[in-house]
Amino acid sequence: MIKTSWCLCALLAVLAPALAAKEELVTLPKRDKVQLTIYNSVDLTLVRETRALTFKKGNNRLQFSWANTLIDPTSVEFRAVTSADKIEVLDTSYPAESHQMLIWTISAESDLSATVEISYFTSGISWAAEYHGMLAADDSSMTLTAYVTVMNNSGEEYEDAQVRLVVGSINLVETIAGLAGGQRQNQRMEEAYGEMRKAARAADADRKKDIVKEGLSEYYIYTVGGTETVPNAWAKRLESFKQAGVPVRSVYTWDTAKYGAQLCRILTFKNDEAHKLGKEPLPAGIVRFYREAGAGRLGYVGAVATNYIAKNDEIKVNAGSDPEVTLKITRSSHKKENLSFAFNGRQQFLQGWDTYDQFKLELKNFRDRAVEFEVNLVFNGDFDFESELAATKVDFRTQRYTLRMDKGARQEVVYKVRTRFGTNARK
Amino acid sequence: MNKRILMTFCFTFGVGAMISLLNPTPADARIKLATLPDREAVVVRFDNPNVVMVEEERTISLQKGVNNVDFSWAGTQIDKGSIIFRPADPAAKVEILSTSYPPGEAALTWQISAAEAMSVKFRLSYLMANIQRETDYRMLVSKDEQTCSFKHYFKIRNWSGGRFATADFVTRDGKKFEKGLENGEAKRVLVNSWDKVKLTKEYVYDLTRQPEGKVLTDYVLKNAKEIGLGSIPLEYGKVRIYQDDGSGTTAFTGEDWGRFTPIGDDMRLNIGIAQDIKIEMKKMVNDVQNRRGNVYDTDEVDEYEIKNFKDTEAVVTLVLRVDGEWEMKATTSGHDSFERVDNETIRFKVKAPAKGTPVKLRFHYQKKNVW
Amino acid sequence: MKLAIATLVLLVAAPLCAKEELVTLPKRDSVQLTIYNSEDLTLVRERRTLSFKQGSNRLQFSWANTLIDPTSVELMPVGDAARAAIDVADTSYPAESHEMLIWTISCKTAGSYPVEISYFTSGITWQAEYTGLVNPNEDAMTLTAYVTVTNNSGEEYEDAQVRLVVGTINLVEKIINLAQPRPQSAPRPSREDQGAARDMDRMARGRGGDEGGGGGMVKPKEIIKGGLSEYYIYTVEGQETIPNRWSKRLRSFEVAAIPLKTVYRLEPAKFGPAFTKVLEFKNDEEHKLGKEPLPDGLIRLYKDHGQGRLGYMGALASKYIPKKDEVKVNVGPDAECTLAIKRISLRKKDLTFQNGWLSGWTTVEEFEMEVKNFRGRAVEAEIHRSMQGDYDFESADGFVVHDAATRKVTLKLEANSTRKLRYTVTTRQGSNARK
Repeated sequence: MIKTSWCLCALLAVLAPALAAKEELVTLPKRDKVQLTIYNSVDLTLVRETRALTFKKGNNRLQFSWANTLIDPTSVEFRAVTSADKIEVLDTSYPAESHQMLIWTISAESDLSATVEISYFTSGISWAAEYHGMLAADDSSMTLTAYVTVMNNSGEEYEDAQVRLVVGSINLVETIAGLAGGQRQNQRMEEAYGEMRKAARAADADRKKDIVKEGLSEYYIYTVGGTETVPNAWAKRLESFKQAGVPVRSVYTWDTAKYGAQLCRILTFKNDEAHKLGKEPLPAGIVRFYREAGAGRLGYVGAVATNYIAKNDEIKVNAGSDPEVTLKITRSSHKKENLSFAFNGRQQFLQGWDTYDQFKLELKNFRDRAVEFEVNLVFNGDFDFESELAATKVDFRTQRYTLRMDKGARQEVVYKVRTRFGTNARK
Repeated sequence: MNKRILMTFCFTFGVGAMISLLNPTPADARIKLATLPDREAVVVRFDNPNVVMVEEERTISLQKGVNNVDFSWAGTQIDKGSIIFRPADPAAKVEILSTSYPPGEAALTWQISAAEAMSVKFRLSYLMANIQRETDYRMLVSKDEQTCSFKHYFKIRNWSGGRFATADFVTRDGKKFEKGLENGEAKRVLVNSWDKVKLTKEYVYDLTRQPEGKVLTDYVLKNAKEIGLGSIPLEYGKVRIYQDDGSGTTAFTGEDWGRFTPIGDDMRLNIGIAQDIKIEMKKMVNDVQNRRGNVYDTDEVDEYEIKNFKDTEAVVTLVLRVDGEWEMKATTSGHDSFERVDNETIRFKVKAPAKGTPVKLRFHYQKKNVW
Repeated sequence: MKLAIATLVLLVAAPLCAKEELVTLPKRDSVQLTIYNSEDLTLVRERRTLSFKQGSNRLQFSWANTLIDPTSVELMPVGDAARAAIDVADTSYPAESHEMLIWTISCKTAGSYPVEISYFTSGITWQAEYTGLVNPNEDAMTLTAYVTVTNNSGEEYEDAQVRLVVGTINLVEKIINLAQPRPQSAPRPSREDQGAARDMDRMARGRGGDEGGGGGMVKPKEIIKGGLSEYYIYTVEGQETIPNRWSKRLRSFEVAAIPLKTVYRLEPAKFGPAFTKVLEFKNDEEHKLGKEPLPDGLIRLYKDHGQGRLGYMGALASKYIPKKDEVKVNVGPDAECTLAIKRISLRKKDLTFQNGWLSGWTTVEEFEMEVKNFRGRAVEAEIHRSMQGDYDFESADGFVVHDAATRKVTLKLEANSTRKLRYTVTTRQGSNARK
């Protein structure tokens, strides 16, 4: 399944002084370990691989090539993990004949074996979150399962890699895909990489058997327990967590600014402990809802794409309209009052007036259970709002009714709006 | 020990399902051997108004340790992200470790870990494209137009590429029927039937519905127990209306789209034009009053002459509209009752005597503060 | 028969890949056409007696090369015994053919049962037509009503009971679109000709049969009219055969000596700008009609000039005429009765100025209408006059309010007489207008 193979990582130990030295080929050591840190906000993955190498005293030349991959050549870095004080990179050369290869000249104090880490950034590996919400038959709670899917289109197969996923957006000044084309190094890019490497190392600390989530500066890192092999061009989905009994509130909401002129069923839960969640932020992804349809069977409710949900943040999911729960607004009366006129010579002109409108809000719940409503009404201009039923002022132009209606119930709410126009307006 | 199983959706030759054991070793050697579990207990659900969910059961023999199970659906359109795979018994000692998606294939591989070698029944559900549904109704009205029988049909057309040797189809209101459905085939099934349903007939004059001013004949069915319906919300669908012609056969008297009608709501169906009722409108008064600069009121009388040429009296509903601020004057005459539906709309009921004797609705109103 | 529909094949019930068993096609016991004129729609109802096995039966119905709406095809058992024994379990529309369906019918007791297969087709239409023969005095006429049935459905209906529905039904989708017709293949003249010749033959035979062939006087078939909901159904007596692509005209009724009224009218909203002659009658008993409404159709009036010579008077594409409603046929301007209007004076008054400029004024116009009747008998006339804007209308000559913008006057003119009518229109313009 390895379609393209990169980096026949050749180690060339070269006899130090002589210029026209004979090159000696050294057996390619296997990768001891490979770790992928995948960002989902940008097309970027940090690859860190460690290998045990044998150095001869003096200068060693180490060649690294990456044909047919999406590696950013400016990001390739060499670091000694052991014997760091005895090994030093003297220079890095990029041979003219190949744009997908570099050679390090490394001096060693003595003949020695050392563990080295080669790290670089590549594009083409991405990940995405996905959720399944299995709603109870009455919609009052759900079992939430979160998944992460890793997609590898980098051109390289990473076998038995430790996979870490970064949640959160990072600042990247150039895209890796562009840099992989062999453009010159950029100072700011290097700084960004440096920060990310530092962050990635700091998160190394501990690992568990599961997908472990930990906070890190502005990001979260999910570490997948054990190792995974994601062949090139494959995608792999892993369960991130599963939480049963998450309480869900279902509110029929009228909010034209957010959901258009439609009464929508909004499912709400919080990413907090009260909702048996809140252990980590939830990355952006598609949430698919299903409902228990009896005898362990499932029915499909709908899907929605959510944004990143921070810890303790509220999640509102629009499950669409429901023909069995309806809202109708009619204007039952319209009057103009307080007309004021101005004179221009003998001609009289209207300059200010009020409109006084009465509206009727009709709510019908044809469902066989009680439902909650939230109706948001937005008004423009200089207006007064009168209502028999108490409404909450959400902002300077929005009033909200919160209602609960029994099964089969109908309710009418009457409200009146006076709007001042022309010279009558005080604003 | 690794075991690889292949399960396909593939239906080209009508073999319900294929699952295969695969060479366990490298990833590029996924060999699909056709044998293994049949689809059992297939359920096709129409709960969601837009998409169709298929749920099937498959019994898979698992070895102790990690097993690979392949599922492929070449030739059908399954929403990959919607696939849910779970043991039918949640307590089963199996764990789905991961799902892998090979490149360029309508397929995936589950990695399932089993505590011991056993046969496990799994439920597999997914959203499947190109299964269309359609609801239609057939209404047979009695000669006296007091009652009707109301039949509810459900039609499914399967363009999905898959075939269902047999499946339980579940409609939105929970009605279940078992049928087979080939690819490309459509099936229409009577799912509900109600007899002796009471109906109401209305004559309606409404220029927004009939701009030429002809009178519409509507049947109104209340989706409620008291008239003989009310057991399920009625789906949107075409209603074809027939009437008993009193001589042993029936005649088609019209059709209309029935909108989605929740329990307790009305379904209004227009059957056609009431050709024996004619309404002619004349504006008899059109005056301006109370002029203040560029602002004025009006005084208007619209006269509707209604002639009912039928042999019996009829009650006609006139739905009239006036924009802006206005009020009806008490001198309005000729109507039986009226209702101001909203600010712009007023609904009159007028009794029209039989045999063409004209009756006049004089609608007297004043528009206020017009400019 | 050019095209054949409805090959009925009984299939062995149970297994899916069962062998199909062909059963002799039972003849239609009867066929009934209910033809609508407001839409291109015909309800076909045919009865056949079929044998059913106990258990599940599969019945195939196909309709290649016709204009049948597949969504409308239905099978119903006829009679209590059949209803008790058989039940349609489902209707399947196979993938291979868009012009075929298969019913799965469960049968409790094996036996032969009558069933009714009904469906909508497009391509069969009917139209009403009227001919009025007006007497020389123009005070009476003989009215003959016809219905013409045209069959372009692709299918021949032999010995069909024909019913015509008068009225406008609501149809939300056109049947022709539902029938999804294939592009017509090129016509094959030789076969068409043969077909036509054969059809002609049969038509002749059919008529002979209907008339008993005895050579005696045979009355035309009666058309029986009945009401149903808001519609009327005309049932043609006996049976008719209408070959594909043929039309057939049948007489609906003929009534002599219907009293006619002549009114000369200037009524632009209804009869155009000219002063025109309108012949009027009512669809009621007083006019020897009123038994049924008159479906919309063309009314042609001919005048009897004596000695059996006819002259064409005029035609009206009439709308549906309910019972007791009136019919007005505009036969055009008549040189024997004329109308002339002239303005005899114009004055402007109440001039208003603003900043030295004219802003409002009022015109006072006096008109004279002259109606001349050169005919040797008295006539009636009705004249409408419409005004615009903020106006006053004054006249001493019998004008009445028709509506807010219109006054009307009705007159009776003696033979060879002239009448003059005067009226004054005062119109407030510009800032003088109150409207």
